[in-house]
Amino acid sequence: MPIKVLAPEVVSKIAAGEVVERPASVVKELIENSIDAAATQVSIEARGGGLNLIRVIDNGTGIPPTETTLAFHRYATSKVSNLADLDAISSLGFRGEALPAIAAVAQVELLTRTSEELAGAYLNLKNGVAVETGKRACPQGTSVTVRHLFQNIPARLKFLKSPATESSRVSNLVSQYSLAFPEVRFSLFLDGRMALQTAGNGALRDVLVKVYGLETAEAMIPVGEVNSQVWGFVSPPSLTRSSRGHLSFFVNRRWVQSRLLSRATEDAYEGLLMTGKHPIAVLNISLPAQDIDVNVHPAKLEVKFRNEQALFTAVQRAVRAALVKEMTVPQVMRPPSVVDVPTFISQKEHLSRQEELFEGFAPRPSPGPLPILRVFGQLSATYIIAEGPDGLYLIDQHAAHERILFERVRAQQASRAVEVQGMLEPLTIEVTPRQEEMLRAGGEVLESYGFAMEPFGTRTYMLRTVPALLHEGNIAQAVIEILDSLGEEGESGKREERIALSLACHSAVRAGQVLSPEEMHQLVRELEQAESPHTCPHGRPTIIRFTSSQLEREFGRSL
Amino acid sequence: MKLSCLQENLSKGLSIAGRAVATRTTLPITNNILLATEKSRLKLAATNLEIAISCWMGAKVTEQGAITIPARLLTDFVNSLPNDKIEMTLSPKTKTLELKCARFEGRINGVDADEFPPIPSIGEGVMTKIDPEALRLAIAQVVFAAATEETRPVLTGVYSEFDGNTLTLAAADGFRLAVHKAPLAEPVAERTEVIIPARALTELQRLITDQEEPVELTINPNRSQVLFRLKDVELVSQLIQGTFPNYNQLIPQSYTTRAEVSLAEFTKAARTAAIFAREGSAIVRLQITPGEELTPGKIVLSARTEEIGDNIGEIDATVEGEETKIAFNSKFLSDVLGVLHEERVTLEMTSSSSPGVIRPVGVENYTHVVMPMFVQW
Repeated sequence: MPIKVLAPEVVSKIAAGEVVERPASVVKELIENSIDAAATQVSIEARGGGLNLIRVIDNGTGIPPTETTLAFHRYATSKVSNLADLDAISSLGFRGEALPAIAAVAQVELLTRTSEELAGAYLNLKNGVAVETGKRACPQGTSVTVRHLFQNIPARLKFLKSPATESSRVSNLVSQYSLAFPEVRFSLFLDGRMALQTAGNGALRDVLVKVYGLETAEAMIPVGEVNSQVWGFVSPPSLTRSSRGHLSFFVNRRWVQSRLLSRATEDAYEGLLMTGKHPIAVLNISLPAQDIDVNVHPAKLEVKFRNEQALFTAVQRAVRAALVKEMTVPQVMRPPSVVDVPTFISQKEHLSRQEELFEGFAPRPSPGPLPILRVFGQLSATYIIAEGPDGLYLIDQHAAHERILFERVRAQQASRAVEVQGMLEPLTIEVTPRQEEMLRAGGEVLESYGFAMEPFGTRTYMLRTVPALLHEGNIAQAVIEILDSLGEEGESGKREERIALSLACHSAVRAGQVLSPEEMHQLVRELEQAESPHTCPHGRPTIIRFTSSQLEREFGRSL
Repeated sequence: MKLSCLQENLSKGLSIAGRAVATRTTLPITNNILLATEKSRLKLAATNLEIAISCWMGAKVTEQGAITIPARLLTDFVNSLPNDKIEMTLSPKTKTLELKCARFEGRINGVDADEFPPIPSIGEGVMTKIDPEALRLAIAQVVFAAATEETRPVLTGVYSEFDGNTLTLAAADGFRLAVHKAPLAEPVAERTEVIIPARALTELQRLITDQEEPVELTINPNRSQVLFRLKDVELVSQLIQGTFPNYNQLIPQSYTTRAEVSLAEFTKAARTAAIFAREGSAIVRLQITPGEELTPGKIVLSARTEEIGDNIGEIDATVEGEETKIAFNSKFLSDVLGVLHEERVTLEMTSSSSPGVIRPVGVENYTHVVMPMFVQW
C-alpha cells in the first residue's frame, strides 16, 4: 500500500481516541470547560453509563455566538494564545482538542449564552459537522449534550465495560472534581437518580461528607494549613481501605494520578498500616506553574514534576506531621481499655521475628492431604503447634481458618445454599457514590452471599441479613471492602472469588487471639478436611513442618 | 507500713481485687495492686482504667502506709504460703515489702502508691439498693447478649434504666436482644438511664455470688461512672457514652405460632442438635407442629452438616397457631436456654424470617428476642 496523508475524518477519529477513551473522559473534558469558564454550579447527567446521554450544564461565562462553530475546530481554544502561555498553564484545558474530539465520536448539541447576549446560541453537530444552528432562549452559561457516544465506532464500543461500571467511573470522576473544587456546586444524576450533590460552599470537609459519608469525614485528619503548599485531609491509621482507589491528589487543582504522590502518602503511614491496607487521602498540592508539565498526555491525568524528590519529601512530611499530631491526642470516643488487641506494630515485629527464627529451614509440606495431627498448644497466640507422624507442624491460625471458611463459602455459594443470619436491628452503612454504583451493579451477587441491602436515604443502606459465618466480625467494614474490591478490574469469575475471599478474611480468627484447646482441635480437624489445606486463599502457607530428621540435625543428634 | 493478717484473708482479698488488674497494658503500674492501710483495715485495690475493684480486710495495723506491688507475683506468692499469720513490713526507703509467714519469707520491690491511678470515689448522685440475688439473675440473663465486637461501642454495654422501683437491663448485639426487669430495694429519686460495660457487670456478678446484704449503687451526677458497694468490696466502672438503640421496637408485638415446652427437654434437644451443628455453620432447625385430637403438638429439632451427618430430636409441645419452621444459630439458642430457671418456656414466632421470642412461663420479667437464620429446608 502506498504511503499517503490520511483523510481528515480518519485523523479526527484517531485523535479522538486519545482524548475520549470512555464516557467518563467526555464528562471530564466538559467539567473542565465549565470550571475554566468560572462556573459556580455544574450539573452532570448521564444515562446508560453515559453511552445514551451525557449532559453537562453550567452557569459559567458562556461562549459568544460568533465563536460557537470555531469551538469545534481542532486546536481552537480560548485558553492559550502563544507559546509562553503553555509554560504557565493555569486553566484545566488548553489543547483545544476536547470539543472536536467529542464531536467526532458522538452527536453533540451546544446551547450557550454570555451575559452580553439576550438569546442563546444553539448548535447541533452530527459526525463533527454542524447540521443545525440558531438562537434559543437559555440561562447564562453553557449546556453540552452528547448523545450516542461511540455509536459509529464499534471497535471502541466493544472495549467498554458494562453501563454500571461506566456509571461508577463517571461518579468517581465527579467525586474527584467536587473534592478539587469545593467552591463549585456539583450535581450528578445517573439514570435520573441523584447520585451526588455538593454544597459548593468552599469547605472541603463538607464535600468529604458528601463523598465518603459523615462518619468517615468526621474521622479524617486535616493536613497542613488551608492553601499551604500541601493541604487536605487524610484518614487516621485506624480507617483504611483495601485499595489505593481512595487516594486523591490535586496538583494546582488538577486531578492527577501519580505514583510518586501515592508512594509519598503511604510512606507517611509506614509502620501504621497492615499490609494490603491503604489510607484515604484528599491532598491539594500547589506548585509554581513552571515546575510542572501537564502537557504529557492529551487526557492530562499524568503530570511531570521538575523536582520529584523535593515534592516527595514535602508530601510525606506534611502527612506524617498530621498523623503524629493526631496520635498524641488521646482517644476520647472510648474509655481506655486494656484488653484491646495488641497494636499492629508489636504484632508485625513479632511476626518478623518468627520468620527470622525459622528462615532457612522451613520447607513446606508436600502437597496432598494433611496427616493426622495432634495439637499441643498455641505459640504467641498466632500459631498452633502440632505433632504429626513425621515431625513438628506449625499452623498459622488465621491463614488456616481463612482457607477453611473460603472453601465453605465457595461450596455454599455453588450449591446455592448460603447460610444467612437475619439481623434483629438492621445495620446502616454509608457508601461513596462509586461504591453505590458497584452496589447497584453487584447487589445480586452480594445478596447471593447473604448480604441483603436496602436503600435507606441518600447513599445509605440498611443491611438486613449477613452471611452466617460473618456474624462475629466487623460487618460494616467487610461490606465496604467487598464493594471496593468489586470496583477493581477483573473478570466476573474473579469477582465472586474476591467476595468469598473478603468474607473468609473478615470472619477468620485473627492472629493474637487466644484459642482454647477445643477450638484449636476443631480448627486443625477442619483444615485436615480442606481441599487445598496447604495455602490460604491469598497464597500464603497455612502450615510449615520441621521433619524429625531436621530436628535431630539441629540438636546434633545425628549428622 | 507494718501489719499482720491471715494468709487466708489476704489470699481471698487478692483474688477479689486481682480481677481488675490490667493484663495487657501500656501503663505498667496498672499491673500492680495497691495495698494501703485504713485505720485497722488493709485495703487492696486494682484498676485497668475501665473498672476498679477495692476490697477491705481485717488486719492488725501497727504502722500506717501504702505501696503498690506487682499483682501476679504477690498473689502467687501469698497463695503458696501456709494458712498462717502473715507479717508485712514496708521499708519506705527501698520500697520493698517484706512478707513473713511461718517459716517462709519473701521480699518484693514495689512502686510508690502516689503513682497509682486514683480510684474514683463517688459520693453523691443517683442512689439505690438492690437485692443481690435479683441483680445476679438480671445480669446473668442479659449480659451474654451484649456485643463483643467493638465497632459499635454502645452495644458492648448493657442498657440500664432505673425508674421508680424497677431496674431494666437490656443488651443486644444486632442479632438478639435480652431484656430483664428487676425490682429495686429502694426507689430512685429520678429516672436514670446509663450504659454499663458488659465486662463490668460480669465481674460484679462474680463478686456478689456470696453476698447477702443489698448491693448499694450510685451513679455520679455527670453520668460517667457507676459505683457498686458490696460488703467490704467496691467496684467502680466507667459508663459507655452514647445512645442505646430503642430496643422496645425490636420486640415483636404479636405472633402466629406459640409453642410451650418443658425447659429441660428443650435444652437437652438443643444441646444434642448442637453437637451436629457445630461441625458446620451452627444451624439448628425447628419444625413446630400443632397437636391434633389424638396426637400432642411437637417441636422437631434437627441439625445437619454436609458430608458429616445429621440428627433429629423431638419434644412435646403445646402449640397454638399454625405449623411453622424456623432456624436458629445453635449458640444463640443454647445461650438463652442456659440462663432460664423456670419449668416451662414459650417460643413465639411469626414466620421463618422474623424474630422469635423466648419467654419463661410464670414470670413476666424476661424477654429474649432472637433473629433466625435464613436457610433452605
